[in-house]
Amino acid sequence: MAIPLVSKLLRNHLLELASKDERLDGRGRWDGRETNLEVDILPRAEGSAKVTMGDTIVYAGVKFQLMTPYPDRPNEGGLMCGAEVRPVAGRNWEPGPPSPQSIELGRVVDRGIRESGCIDVKSLCIIPGEKAWQVILDLFAISDDGNLFDAFALAAIAALKTASVPCERFDIGPDYPLEVSTIPIMCSYHKVGNRFVYDASYKEELGGDERIHITLGEEYHVHSLQKGLKGIFSADEFAEIMEKAKDKSTELRKLVNSKVGE
Amino acid sequence: MGGYGDIQMIDENGLRMDGRGPTDIRPISIETGVVPVADGSCRMVWGANEVIVAVYGPMEAHPRKIQRQDRAVLDVRYNMAPFSTTDRMRPGFNRRSREISKVTSDALESVVLLEMYPRSKIRVEIEVICAEAGTRCVGLTAASVALAHAGIPMTDMVVSVASGKIHDVVVCDLNKEEDNYGEADLPMGILPNTGELVFLQMDGDLSPDQFQTAWDYNMQAVDAIHEIMIEALKNGGEK
Repeated sequence: MAIPLVSKLLRNHLLELASKDERLDGRGRWDGRETNLEVDILPRAEGSAKVTMGDTIVYAGVKFQLMTPYPDRPNEGGLMCGAEVRPVAGRNWEPGPPSPQSIELGRVVDRGIRESGCIDVKSLCIIPGEKAWQVILDLFAISDDGNLFDAFALAAIAALKTASVPCERFDIGPDYPLEVSTIPIMCSYHKVGNRFVYDASYKEELGGDERIHITLGEEYHVHSLQKGLKGIFSADEFAEIMEKAKDKSTELRKLVNSKVGE
Repeated sequence: MGGYGDIQMIDENGLRMDGRGPTDIRPISIETGVVPVADGSCRMVWGANEVIVAVYGPMEAHPRKIQRQDRAVLDVRYNMAPFSTTDRMRPGFNRRSREISKVTSDALESVVLLEMYPRSKIRVEIEVICAEAGTRCVGLTAASVALAHAGIPMTDMVVSVASGKIHDVVVCDLNKEEDNYGEADLPMGILPNTGELVFLQMDGDLSPDQFQTAWDYNMQAVDAIHEIMIEALKNGGEK
């Protein structure tokens, strides 16, 4: 990603807004943008979702491949999660091999899903030591107006929830839905104007400092954390956003459940 | 090109598997402004193909060595999303996507008035979200809509359409099954206002008569597609 210039004017403006407890687009500190989730929209994918958060738009697609289980884990299939932010998504995203930014994106989303245990990799085994399913989750950004992390994570879990294992195509019996036992939800908070806000827009990310990503499972179990970018935060600040993440994750989990028909 | 197999591609009434006649194209819809952060964009759905194109620029060309003193450079990228095909497409460029990017760029350079923006760059990003045969035609057509949506001056838009041959019958706009069993493919990029060409490829086997038929089918399909492109630009106008 090309490193964009950050004007002092923008930073000062954000500071000034923060002192009045306001945000660039008029939202409250803990308000998200309008979030829209569509599922099963990609006919070539075995599971798919599209998430729109304001002007941020991402797709997630699930594909299955046959793999040989790893020698040390002969009874397990695999889960792979990759994020691609191609230059279509914004003028600062450049072509070429995945940038550190998009690798971080993919890995943080991957950890939240993997560590929540929502996919039982043992259930992906077909013949121990010989054949197993590899679930490949591809995250694809179409438009980046900030907070790709949350959009990716939401699309990812919704896509998995709608995925069906394509046994027929591989002559291994009838297709069946992929079992996804829990719904991990990521909530991201950016330090903008010296205080944390939820769901930062591109301009807020640009003129802000560090960001913190929290993935919460059912009953507020913590599954992944990530602090990114330069910045210092206190334990009190963290405790505050953790409390906010609990409410927000419950709300977003309801959204996922309402779309995947449970 | 694939073999015949036992599949009946055209029935006794001359209708194809999806019920189309030989000259019928698949349903097309276009929506502009689908990438809010881009200077121009569109989504084109053509049959089961879905392509999203974003245009950025004109903007400063980096690094300086790619700048041209007398015109803008056009940076066109065609890419297929990993989940756009039945078997997962590995991310990253391959020889096919590089070639399609290049011929698409060559076609668009022929219509975009690049000399109006010396030393700058115009980026055209073509992303195939769902593929069902003929993605290069969809990509090129959608790219010219996105360029127009971005307000980039052009002499004309490009309408790209392909005809091919299945079981020795020439048909327009092959779908996936037809393409798998197809014996020839003739994609063309046509300027609707003059009938001139800016893009031409062909592979397979066509007799001189079949070639002429395929050529004529493509030419006949242009106006209907052009109409949809113009409607989409009129409807989604605000950006």
